[in-house]
Amino acid sequence: MSHSHGGSAEPNLTPILDMVFQLITFFMLVINFKSAAMDLSLKLPVIGSARPVDMQGQEDLLILNIDSKGKLRVFGVEKDVDRYIATEAEVSRLAARGRKSQDAAGDDLRTIVVVRADRATPFHLLNHVIKVCQEHGFRRFSLKAMNKIEET
Amino acid sequence: MGRRRPKQTDVELNLAAMLDMAFQLLAFFILTFKPSPVEGQITLHLPPPQPVANLQAEKQAGENTADISPVAGLETLVVSLFSTSSGDMASMAVGEVAIGSQKELDTRLRTILKDPGSPFDQVIIQVDSALRYEELMQVVDVCTRQTLGNGQKLSKLSFVELPHDAKAQN
Repeated sequence: MSHSHGGSAEPNLTPILDMVFQLITFFMLVINFKSAAMDLSLKLPVIGSARPVDMQGQEDLLILNIDSKGKLRVFGVEKDVDRYIATEAEVSRLAARGRKSQDAAGDDLRTIVVVRADRATPFHLLNHVIKVCQEHGFRRFSLKAMNKIEET
Repeated sequence: MGRRRPKQTDVELNLAAMLDMAFQLLAFFILTFKPSPVEGQITLHLPPPQPVANLQAEKQAGENTADISPVAGLETLVVSLFSTSSGDMASMAVGEVAIGSQKELDTRLRTILKDPGSPFDQVIIQVDSALRYEELMQVVDVCTRQTLGNGQKLSKLSFVELPHDAKAQN
């Protein structure tokens, strides 16, 4: 077989490359690395008035995933509640000292504890986690819930 | 001036390799893309439980004869939640008053807290140890919707654990 004109027909790849780069940019912008810290297998309680609040990255967050048996999971790994919270409190305290932002709050930490607990968790298991947090100086809590509209 | 321009040659960039790489990146992002559900939250200030009466050690009983209010010094409203053995809500009470439903709880709390003369600025929720988190959150939701007499939102809550058979003992 022979080419009709003997020249090579090369497709212009520039438009497809443009489109692919735009798609990559889109996915890079919407990718959420914070979701790795969330245990998406948990079934959060459903509350009509729960609204998403954008922290705008200004707050220190300590995300605690608590399953229905009261087990604490961080990035999918089960942790000892007391030891983990004690370590995190120490880290928060050191960070606050570094920023010198521990303004007149005494031993209270500015870090917000984000509690993502399964809806079936008995209170005594959840209360243990909250009490340990309080003992280590955490005062600000954010209890996560799903909005009814968002529930599938 | 008299320099001759070098002979121009068409430089063609080979885009195929770059396209391969771009497609690989795209495939990675598509495969790892998992939109996380939009979660709501209730933000609370949870101090450790404090005495219901904010008594100061310096004060003696009956010292202030002008103070005849029976609730002076009481700044905390107590809400009690009792559960069935399966963790469902069995009954509620505000102080000593039994409450039948969340709507009734909402009305009761609003009546008490919105009163400008109300001394309450925080709520202690006494929770049956077996109560499920979902049931508790319904009550927390009602509490955080309340406005105090000074116009501020109620955000100071504390939890106290009750033994499961606390109501039966009473």
